[in-house]
Amino acid sequence: MVIRFTGERITLLKRVVALENEEVEFQNGKLLINGKEQEEPYLQYPYDWTLPARRVEPGSVYVVGDNRSVPMQNHLFGQTSLTRILGGPLW
Amino acid sequence: MVTPVRTTGKPFNPTGRVAKKSPSVGQRSMIPDWLKIKYVLVSMALIAIGIGIFFMFLESEEKKVKKQFHLLSEGVSKETGENIFTLDQKLKKIGSLFNDTCDMAIPAHSISGQMTREEITGYAARGRLYVSELHLTFHDVMITFPQEGEARARVTARLTGKTTAGEGINEAHEIDCLLKKIEKKWLFSSIEVVEVLKK
Repeated sequence: MVIRFTGERITLLKRVVALENEEVEFQNGKLLINGKEQEEPYLQYPYDWTLPARRVEPGSVYVVGDNRSVPMQNHLFGQTSLTRILGGPLW
Repeated sequence: MVTPVRTTGKPFNPTGRVAKKSPSVGQRSMIPDWLKIKYVLVSMALIAIGIGIFFMFLESEEKKVKKQFHLLSEGVSKETGENIFTLDQKLKKIGSLFNDTCDMAIPAHSISGQMTREEITGYAARGRLYVSELHLTFHDVMITFPQEGEARARVTARLTGKTTAGEGINEAHEIDCLLKKIEKKWLFSSIEVVEVLKK
């Protein structure tokens, strides 16, 4: 999804991994949604992120990029408001 | 003898006095139509001038608010090899742009709460120690005036530069600001960095 980051021109391209009221967690490089490990064939490189479980607030989605080989602190991801979603890529 | 009479078509008026026109039956107003149109045109012109002045006032206030962002940008920016005199001038400039207290919310730097003008300049001074070069620019400035003496601005702040360790700085953030007009000056009273992605 294309997300409006700031102003009218700066956008981010991220993958929606969880919807509102779902629980998101990372355990040693594995994404868990509602406690279930997710298959992510689109990831090219392994990663080692660990993030405690958190619930997505109503009116929001949880987005993460595919390039997770960078340290978690340097990667822009997390829950964002649905109002910030501009659309999806065409290809 | 017959005296020839010149016929002019006008009614006979031997005294030459001009008789006052009495309003005819069914005539509602004494004001002629051309005068009515004149009044309408003058009223419309006055309304247009009023609207023009209102927008001129708004525009000039908007310009004043934008100028504060320009001054903040100048105060925060740092060039390589900046001397102490310039640093002092810039810190004074930053301080003059803020209200006595300002509500700050910068989640990335764990800053949240009210800061005094002195605390803000102190924070700016400490922050400059970690950068050798810094440029702050504002884009997509959207200003509204929710009530008299208050301006709300949503802007994109772009920070570029280099840390003293040689790492590049290239950040962009959406910022929500509240400025209050105090003694004819627009002063920053609240600055909040919008957290678009909450981990």
